[in-house]
Amino acid sequence: MRSKGTNHNTTFGDKVLLLLLVFLSVYSFIFIKEVMPEGSDIRIEAAGKLLYTLPIHINKTVEVNGPLGTTVVEIRDSRVRIKESPCNNKICVHEGWVRSGAIICLPNRVIVSITGKANKKHEDIDGITG
Amino acid sequence: MKKTFIVFIALAICALSSCNPGKESIYKESRITMDTLVTITVSSSSDTVAKAAVDKAFREIDKLGKLLNFFAGDSEVTLINKSAGSMPVTVSKETLDVIERALHVADKTEGAFDISIGPVSSLWDFHTKTMPEEDALKEKLKLVSYKNVVIDRKNSTVFLKKKGMMIDLGGIAKGYAADRAAEVLKNSGIKSGIVAAAGDIRTFGTRPDGSAWNIGIKNPRQTGDDDEILAVIRLSDQAISTSGDYERYFIKNGIRYHHILDPKTGRPAYGCRSVSVITKEGVFTDAFSTGVFVLGPRRGMEILKKMGFDGIIVDSDGNILMTEGIKGKIEVKGNKP
Repeated sequence: MRSKGTNHNTTFGDKVLLLLLVFLSVYSFIFIKEVMPEGSDIRIEAAGKLLYTLPIHINKTVEVNGPLGTTVVEIRDSRVRIKESPCNNKICVHEGWVRSGAIICLPNRVIVSITGKANKKHEDIDGITG
Repeated sequence: MKKTFIVFIALAICALSSCNPGKESIYKESRITMDTLVTITVSSSSDTVAKAAVDKAFREIDKLGKLLNFFAGDSEVTLINKSAGSMPVTVSKETLDVIERALHVADKTEGAFDISIGPVSSLWDFHTKTMPEEDALKEKLKLVSYKNVVIDRKNSTVFLKKKGMMIDLGGIAKGYAADRAAEVLKNSGIKSGIVAAAGDIRTFGTRPDGSAWNIGIKNPRQTGDDDEILAVIRLSDQAISTSGDYERYFIKNGIRYHHILDPKTGRPAYGCRSVSVITKEGVFTDAFSTGVFVLGPRRGMEILKKMGFDGIIVDSDGNILMTEGIKGKIEVKGNKP
């Protein structure tokens, strides 16, 4: 016999409702995580190690060391460039400012890549030959 | 009952918050190895499994890079070159495999792909815009012939018959490395992925949605960001490599001097702007793309058909030629380059 006062017993309906709410809240979290695009970052790797992950919208200059010496990477106005490099050919420096993709300095083993929503360049392509 | 309910809720949260563990997603990693940028992309339901497999594949590529590097003082290739004309050198199975395949391609392309081009290619420097002297070129050309590369599979040795000969595996090693890395990934439980050693790409399996991998082919006469890609081809369980006159070159007196040298003349080959070859193995796409480039569009297309390979050739006038097999799998963007 149930009391008519404060009832702490949960009914079957309460349980179903609770279960539904839990499912909905967790599912919404997953849905948002899967569907919403990530922010954009600059990843800077040198000699095989990830040294920095920096937001693209914050102006900053960093120095990283490779086998040949110091490479200077500059982030400004949501773009990135290799400002200075100790390599001979300076292909990486001549590439100038980029807003998507990556700049690679093979001799000094530096990779500067843009990840996240800013990197829309060839998003439907899995690899490039040539 | 209450306990069971709480446990059920907890399990439901765990299951959901693990973000659908059965779902395949893309894991991608790039590293500089073999003097180039290598990118491995895999599809896996576990980031941990993917990362471990990719790491193992990179270790395999590093190993091959050390064995096959033309410029490193301690590679097996350097040892073979240093012993040219004097004695056979015992090498690893991998080095022997690459050289054996290189000689096979040389044979099929009538010497248009020739790993013994080392003495001639050493005379060119595309960074400093250095061209060889005529006399030096003539002299070094005498050392170029793949027929003087002798392999002994039983004893696992390689011998260069003439003193001064040099083999350079730069036109085949990356394709081979992509194949080996793909095998390592498969053996580590990865069912689909791409190994891209610069322009030498080996694909296996499909994308997470079951479709083929989309591979872009570079426009040999790119003018800006908008026309970087000439065409997109859909591949699954195939490899593709491209050789182009735009990769390493300089222009002098209006003439483009590029790095794809004709082993018969020691000078750049001029029939094509770029050649992409498609077949099962990267070791063959890599080497044949160079060989076909040297042969030129007409003869090159004949060789592709004879070998049963697919290919796209952009000739020196910018015309695009392609084999029948890839029509329907390729989307050409824009006008001719």
